Order: sequence, then structure tokens, then C-alpha cells
Amino acid sequence: MTAQLTTGWREKGIRSVWLAAALIAASSVVFILGYLLLTSLPIFFETGIVGFFFNTDWNPTGSTPSFGIAALLIDTLLVTFGAMVFAVPLGLMAAVFLAYLAPPKLRDIVKPAIELLAGIPSVVYGFFGMIVLCSFLQQTLDMPSGFSWLAASILLGIMALPTIVSVSEDALFAVPKDYNEASLGLGATKWQTISRVLVPAAASGISAAVILGMGRAIGETMAVMMVAGNAAVIPSPIWDVLSPVRTLTATLGIELAEVASGSMHYYALFGVAAVLLAITLGVNLISVWITKRIKTGRPLVSMPAAARRILIICGMLIAFTAGIVILGIGPTLLAAAVFAGFFLLRDRVSHKVAERAAFGVIYAGTALVVATLIIILADIFIHGLPAISWEFLTTAPRDLGREGGIFPAIVGTLQLVGGAILLALPVGIGAAVYLNEYSAGTFLTRLLRTGNDLLAGTPSIVFGVFGFAFLVIFLGWGVCLLAGMICLALMILPTIIKTTEEALRSVSPSLREASFGLGATRWQTIKNVVLPSAAPGILTGTILSIGRAAGETAPIMFTAVVFSKRFISPDLFEPVMALPFHLYVLSTSVPGAQTQQYGTAVVLICLVLLIYLGAILLRTHFRKKLI
Amino acid sequence: MTPILSTRNLNLSYGSKQVLYDIDLPFEEKSVTALIGPSGCGKSTLLRCMNRMNDLIADCKVTGEILYRGEEIMNSDPVLLRRKIGMVFQRPNPFPKSIYDNIAYGPRAHGTKDAKTLDNIVENSLKGAVLWDEVKDRLHESALGLSGGQQQRLCIARTLAVNPDVILMDEPCSALDPIATTKIENLIMDLKTKYTVIIVTHNMQQAARISDTTGFMYLGKLIETGTTGTIFSNPKEELTERYITGRFG
Repeated sequence: MTAQLTTGWREKGIRSVWLAAALIAASSVVFILGYLLLTSLPIFFETGIVGFFFNTDWNPTGSTPSFGIAALLIDTLLVTFGAMVFAVPLGLMAAVFLAYLAPPKLRDIVKPAIELLAGIPSVVYGFFGMIVLCSFLQQTLDMPSGFSWLAASILLGIMALPTIVSVSEDALFAVPKDYNEASLGLGATKWQTISRVLVPAAASGISAAVILGMGRAIGETMAVMMVAGNAAVIPSPIWDVLSPVRTLTATLGIELAEVASGSMHYYALFGVAAVLLAITLGVNLISVWITKRIKTGRPLVSMPAAARRILIICGMLIAFTAGIVILGIGPTLLAAAVFAGFFLLRDRVSHKVAERAAFGVIYAGTALVVATLIIILADIFIHGLPAISWEFLTTAPRDLGREGGIFPAIVGTLQLVGGAILLALPVGIGAAVYLNEYSAGTFLTRLLRTGNDLLAGTPSIVFGVFGFAFLVIFLGWGVCLLAGMICLALMILPTIIKTTEEALRSVSPSLREASFGLGATRWQTIKNVVLPSAAPGILTGTILSIGRAAGETAPIMFTAVVFSKRFISPDLFEPVMALPFHLYVLSTSVPGAQTQQYGTAVVLICLVLLIYLGAILLRTHFRKKLI
Repeated sequence: MTPILSTRNLNLSYGSKQVLYDIDLPFEEKSVTALIGPSGCGKSTLLRCMNRMNDLIADCKVTGEILYRGEEIMNSDPVLLRRKIGMVFQRPNPFPKSIYDNIAYGPRAHGTKDAKTLDNIVENSLKGAVLWDEVKDRLHESALGLSGGQQQRLCIARTLAVNPDVILMDEPCSALDPIATTKIENLIMDLKTKYTVIIVTHNMQQAARISDTTGFMYLGKLIETGTTGTIFSNPKEELTERYITGRFG
């Protein structure tokens, strides 16, 4: 009798299925990146690198077309910077409040609520920005129109808030409780403890939060496009926040639909997409670097006290000069006096007064954050709920959406999302299982991980650009359901792979060893031990991707959707309607449809929030089952 | 001589669970008092009453008197109280800052800004905790790079920098190896020339080696207190005798 110590064909077969999934995932990642970069090459030959980046004139359809993205690049940076000016201090205040000042019960309600708001589709924020924010700015600041850098920055700031609050709160909450006791035990006040020990100890996590928020702001298309005014000019003077601006993403969103395939303009748009990819790469590299620093526990920046002092003095001088240039001498001196007064008083007033003042500011900031988010939801629901009726939900639109309902759009969204999940889920989970369970550090895994990390933060419009150029035009599918499904699937694939890998990694190695030690095969171990423990994590990741896919507009607007379609068909090569796109067209191009706009926004929010709620419930259910 | 710190009729409960019962205990100035007893007997809780660290626990209720130099501490400002009554914790807990910034943290929080003064405080505190020679060349490196024993001496130095009157130590050696423990024990005996030290320990030999007075606690009650020599050689209570001879605990 032989010992039978060779692996059976069954194990080998299963292994090759996972390998196939990983290969599909890796090749699609490589293909997208390669396709975008190769297609953008002609524009660089036409204008040269310098001409493309440093020419401020973007006029692709003029009689002598000009393709300089300097203005777009600067506008993108300005809008992002402006958003961070709002979002970082406010987000940090709310995070400090939630982590250290709020009663635990309040924290347990407010934190998930804020996280839920991260799931509201960007087109809904854009709609709110157009209807409420821009008209508010127009009236208060007496502007010809509210569409401006300021509006875009405020809106992006609001959109980045949930991410910043949630991630920095996690970092603050994870600071060892020992530090708190040690500091209080030395006779420091609670505020001194927070400001001098706890927040600095969480600095790495907080910077990661800010970077994530920035990534979200840079990659946003719809919301910015709807409120920024979209003139490809550099604000003049550069601090004129009321000037209209146009970001890189908005340029793609506006011009892709009208461009002639194969023209220089077309290649220039691919150049813009490539630049967006490069920015994403930069942001991702920074966040990887920070995460590494967090893991090794080293401070992000360490410099001697003297250098820090010089840096602070330089910063203050720059701020002072900028203040004089922007605000004039009077207000700047006043601001400087308040600032100096603050620092002089800080050590004079009793620690109790200082603490109360600081906490007062934090309470006010948190209240502002919560109030903003409540106002947005309240405005949409108060105006939108009356529009909801049986007819609205079950009939097709009439009179350009001013009458009738949104039934085809609801069905279209479900079709798109369902198809995307069917495509992305097997490949994503399979690739993650292969990466984590079968291979260790091969070329394929490195390639897939790197490409995946890069695509994970890529602005969603880039997937739209790829789908439009490759599926719609090159393959000649035209605008159709299948193209949209593929674009959405490509967009959520990196997230699914990432969250699945995280879930698999969180399964303790000792469990696997225990199973192997009992003579189980690799597949038996995966099937019976690893996957059941990782299931809640995988499910949550999947459901969050579904929510994201349901709310996205940018990847489908050029690939799958039309504004009006009376009949519902399951044909993959027919275009469909979709809720986010319907809301976008209703709010930008159909005057007099306000009720329907609000109604569509409500349905879209409810759909996405229901999906998220499902994720939360499912997670709790599985957690209970595991324990 | 009036004690520097004393409790009278001290009762403490977490929610509905009573943890300390009628503790009457005086602490003599410039001496080392050890609190011993089996785990869960309430000795750490008693220690944390002295500088109101129990305020951090939500449903903690304290009744009775705790007098510090004749003043009731429950009426004091906890922040100012903790500047007088410092604390060293069970696990070394240096801040993720440089050695220098760890020591200077307390004085800075209390408003000292002058660089020279801070330099002096840092040097003297580190010398006071017998750590200066080991770290003087790397004051601006992270405190997290120190060994466990060095970290704990850093935490003691950090407490000294605030110039307290009383130092509370909650099992300061329980996370350390024997050599580091010896160093800390020697340090504690040096400290009593200037400070009043109250130490909680589960190590009876340690209590016998370093303390002047010992209190034995059991199930939230103070069973017996007296000079360390008496407690260990000639205890009055049978419970104390059984505990120190290792028959339970």
C-alpha cells in the first residue's frame, strides 16, 4: 500500500480557480492603467510636458486649440485647500468631542450617524449645493451667482467631514488610556492632557484622516461640477474665493460627452485623467508612509526645538504678510492682536478658565458640524417627502421629468448595481483569497497589491473615462447597461479586494495552524475555518461597495445612462436610466422640476442608507453569532 | 506628630458594589508606607483616592474624610491636589515624546516656560531618579526607546519634576525584572528623605525591605497597621499572620 502523500487533483483544481480570479483582477488593473496612460501619450507629444503642465490656457475647442492644464491644476489645489481649511479644524473638534468629552451613550449615537453621512451620494450634495448653498452665498455676499471656489470648497469640506471625523476619532480613541492617567496624575488639566498628550499621540492617525479627506475632495466630480462655476481660469487675485473655478475632474465630467474620439482634445482629456492618477498615486504614497510610521510608533516629524521655533516664526510672518495683502492692514493688525492676546492670556488665566474656553470652542465646532449635516438632511427630506407618492415610485417620467415618476431610474440603478456586484464579487473575493491564503510575495501578488492600492483611491470619473473610451467607443458597444456594470465593477473591485484581504488577515494564524495540524487540506481549512470567521468583514465590505456603486454618477454618465427611457428592458446592450444621473440632469438642465428633484434625492438617499443600514445590522448579527 | 495624610471612615463604592469599608489610616511624613493584601482587596483603589484619580471613574462614590495637611481633599481642586500628590503607575507609561519633554511636561503644564529653569528641573529630576547618567546623552530621543526599568524610573523622575509632597506608587515593580526592581527599591528608600511615599505592592518581601509602616488589607477592610517590623514578625491579627506566612493570598 502506498502512503498517498501527493496533493490530490481536487486541491490543485481549486487553487487554479483562485489563481484565475487573481489573474483577472491583476490584468484588469494593469489594463486600465496601461490603457489610460498609453492613450494620453499623444497629447504629451503634441504640447510637450512643460506645455501641458505650465500653460494656463485651456481652450480645447477654439480655432487654435490650447491644451494647458495649469489653471485646472491650480484650481483643483485651491478648491481642495479651501475645503481642508473648513473641514480639518471642525472635523478635529468634533473628533475630540466624540473621543474625550461626549458621554459614551451620545458617542454611540453620533458617531455612526456621522459615518452614515459619508454614504450620501455626491450628486445629492451637489444638488443641495446648487439649490441652497449657492443661492445663500449669492444673496449674502451679493454675488452675480453663487457658483464659485467658495461654494465648491464649503461643499467639499462638508463632504470630507464625515471621513475626517470618523478616522481621527478612531485614532484619538485608540490612544492608550495610560497617557490620560499619567498626565492627570501629574496635575495637568483635562484640556492640557488632550492638547499636549492625547492629540499629539494620535497625530499620525489624524494626518491619515486628513489625507483621506483630501483624497476624497480631489477625486470628487459631481458635487464640484455642480457648484464651482467651471470657468477654466486662475482666480485673480489668487485669493478671490468668489471667482468661478474648474477642477481636473469637472473638466472630464463636462467635456467627455462632447469630444470627438481620436481628436487632440480627446487625448488631452486622457492626459487630465493620467494627471489625476498621478495625484492619487502621490496621496496614496503619503498615506502608506504615514501608516508605516503609525505601525512603528515613530513620530511623523521630529525636529529640534530651535528648528521648530524658526518654522513657527516664519509661518507667522507669512500669515501676517498674506493677511495684509488680502484683508488690508486694519483687520490683520486686529487679528494679530487677538492672536497675541490669546497667547499672552493663555498662561495668565487660571487653568479652569482656559479649559472652559477651549471646551466651549470645541462644543461650538461640534455643534456646527452636526447642525450642518442635519440641515442638509432636513432640507432634502422636508422638501422631498411630499413628492413621494405611489405614482412617483411606479411610473415613468413625463415632460422631461417635470411630471410622472422615476420608476425606470430605480430599476436601472438596481440593474447596474446588481450587475456590478455579480461581476466584481467573485473576482474580488477570489483574488483576495489567492493573495492571502495561497501565495506569499510573488511577482503577481506584488503587482496586484500595488495596482489595487493605486486604483482604490482613483477618482471615480477616471473609470468613466476608461469605460467610455474602451467599451463604448473602441469596442463599439455604445452607451449601454453592460458598459456601466463593468465600470462600476472596476470601481468597486479594489475596495472589495482590500476589505476581503483585511478580513482574511484578521483571522488568527493559530486557527489555520490548528486546522492544518489536524490534517485538513488548504481548501478544507479555508472553507471551514477561514471563510466563516472572515464572513462578517467580507460582507460589510461588499455592502459598503454596493452603497457606493448605487450613489455614483461619474462612472456611468458616459457609459450606461440616458435621461429618459420609457421602457424597462433586461437587454445588456441597451442604455438605462439611473437615479443619480436623473437627479443630476433634473437639477442642472430642467427648470421647474424642483419637487421631482427633491423627490429623487430622497429616494436615492433612502436607497443608499438602507443598504448601509443593512450592512450594520448584518455585522451585528454575525458578531453575535460568532461569540 | 500629625500625619501628612490621613483617612477617616473612608467608604467607597463603584455603583452598588462597595469596595472600601471604614478605612482609618494615617500616613507619616517622609516615610514609606506599604499597603499589602491579596488582589482585589482594594489597596489600589485606596491609593487612587489620595489624589482623586477615582474621579475619572463614572459611578464611583466616596464618603468619609481624607485630610491632606489638615485640609479635606474632596473639597479641593483635583488638578492642584495632583500637583502636590503625584502618582506612579503599575505599568511604565511614558508619553510618546522625548525623554526631555516627558520630564518637562508637568512643569510646563503648570506654567514654567524659561528654558534654563526647565533644563535644571529635567537634570535634577533625572538625577533624583538615578537615571541621569544613563540618558544624559540622549535627552531628545524618544522615551519609548528606554528599557522597562528605565521607563519606570523616567515616570518617577517625571513625578519628581512637579515637586510633589507625596508620591503614590501603584505596584511600580510588577512589570519589571528583578534587577530593575532592585534599582527602583533603592530609589524609593532614597526618596523618603525628601518625600512621603505610599506604595501598593503584592510582593511581601518588597514591603518588608523598603517600608517603615505597613497596612494589611483584606476584602476592602484595613485589617491591621503598624511598623513594618511588627507586622512581619509579630502581627496581632491571625488573618495577617496567615497572609504573610503565605497560607492564603
